[in-house]
Amino acid sequence: MIARAAIAVLALASAGAAAQVLDFSADEVRAVLRHGPWPPAFVPDPSNRVSGQSEAIELGERLFFEPRLSREGRFSCASCHVPGLAFQDGRAQGLGRTELDRNTPSLLNVRLNRWFGWDGAGDSLWAQSVRPITDRREMDSSASQVAALLREDPEYACRYRRLFGEPRDAPDQAMLVAAAKSLAAFQETLLSGRSAFDEFRDALGRGDRLAAARYPIPAQRGLRLFLGRGACTACHLGAAFTNGEFHDIGIPFFLREGGVDPGRHGGIRQLQASPLNLLARQSDDRTGAAAIKTRHVALEHRNFGEFKVPGLRNVALTAPYMHNGRIATLAQVVRHYSELDLDRLHADGEAILKPLRLSREESADLVAFLESLSERASASPRRRPIAPCRG
Amino acid sequence: MEKRRASLRQSAAALIAGALCAAGAGACELPAGTRIESASYALSFRTQPARIAPGEHFALEYAVCPKAGAAPPGTVSADAWMPEHRHGMNYRASVVALGGGRFRAEGLLLHMPGQWEIVFQAGSERLAHRLRVE
Repeated sequence: MIARAAIAVLALASAGAAAQVLDFSADEVRAVLRHGPWPPAFVPDPSNRVSGQSEAIELGERLFFEPRLSREGRFSCASCHVPGLAFQDGRAQGLGRTELDRNTPSLLNVRLNRWFGWDGAGDSLWAQSVRPITDRREMDSSASQVAALLREDPEYACRYRRLFGEPRDAPDQAMLVAAAKSLAAFQETLLSGRSAFDEFRDALGRGDRLAAARYPIPAQRGLRLFLGRGACTACHLGAAFTNGEFHDIGIPFFLREGGVDPGRHGGIRQLQASPLNLLARQSDDRTGAAAIKTRHVALEHRNFGEFKVPGLRNVALTAPYMHNGRIATLAQVVRHYSELDLDRLHADGEAILKPLRLSREESADLVAFLESLSERASASPRRRPIAPCRG
Repeated sequence: MEKRRASLRQSAAALIAGALCAAGAGACELPAGTRIESASYALSFRTQPARIAPGEHFALEYAVCPKAGAAPPGTVSADAWMPEHRHGMNYRASVVALGGGRFRAEGLLLHMPGQWEIVFQAGSERLAHRLRVE
């Protein structure tokens, strides 16, 4: 084992005194490289036959901003997933027709999820897209309302016909699912842009220390903590910085009205009862491969109070944090893990977390690293005029 | 004399063939793979794909042989466990018996990097193999 000073710094003579790269070990470099490359290649969703199709993306984009999808014509998807706010709403808890129990998640990178929603009640992006449309607390719409819009609006009727066939002949429920698949096709295009971290990661990978040295030293120290003592990569792994699964991290799950949010436990029960899950006939995947997760997911007592591990890309742009928006700033998130109250964790749960007991400087470094995951420029397509449908 | 020699050769051949048949009937050969043993069983397994990545579903193909005096197990289940974290998978593998002591388990997913145990349960015996996933 190679002994190493805790914060040994290599100065780059060619880059001047300010340009430095920490002496990341070969293991650390390998660990850094596992958080990329970015952006990831597009892989169509096999359960959605219009995934990746430009006409479906256009229809989905129109529907995303369409208030007539809601019962009273007051809400569109974009009312809560605001493009200028990283496709979330900046509130602690979402606000539909009434205040909701959970934080509105960002839709950037949503296509990389295995499960959808804080509790993973959705196993596909299109099934998840149906939920807020029909939820009484949110858009409070129905299959018949959505179908009527798609049949009666000439522009929608034309687009529907080109993608799915004659709308007059289709059952309402099938039209709702088709609308959701188009919405999913649009949401699949929402990706966060490249970050300072990505530049650093790629520079490390090609051995370009000059370029790597542009990454600030506090972020580098924070990255080392993230990979090492913090053990954050146990859950925040891969290019999206999430394992896509569910954990209890000691955030209270009591609701205002006195009930409790069952989290993943309730999510699995909803999933298994859903007529829109991937085991049902609405899935376009005839191989059954997409449904392997749904077929095998296990309902355990420990799932109670577990919530999904969010990806960390653009995390500085998506405050407040946690499933109920209870934590306002990244510094407070870091303090939560630093001073973790183990009594809040399930006694029979997993033994992963322990208080990190970070110094003030270490906490600031970890925040600097998390901030470096923000995009430098949006990678999501800008809204543009869409030519009227013909045919 | 020659007749007697031929008869002896035939008897010897018959004895050898009989012995081979007996061995063949009782023999249990494990296919290539990672081999683990318990008191009563030997097991070999392979993962599909060969390299397991965190967060990706994989399957196990395995075969079990009872050791001398042990009865063949009815079925052999497969699971995975992360000892350091005291948790298992979030998925329950489905197992299909392929006959001849061979099985296929599907639906496994290791959701964290680190050291895991692949665990097989044959009757009351647990057979485990540790592996590291990065």
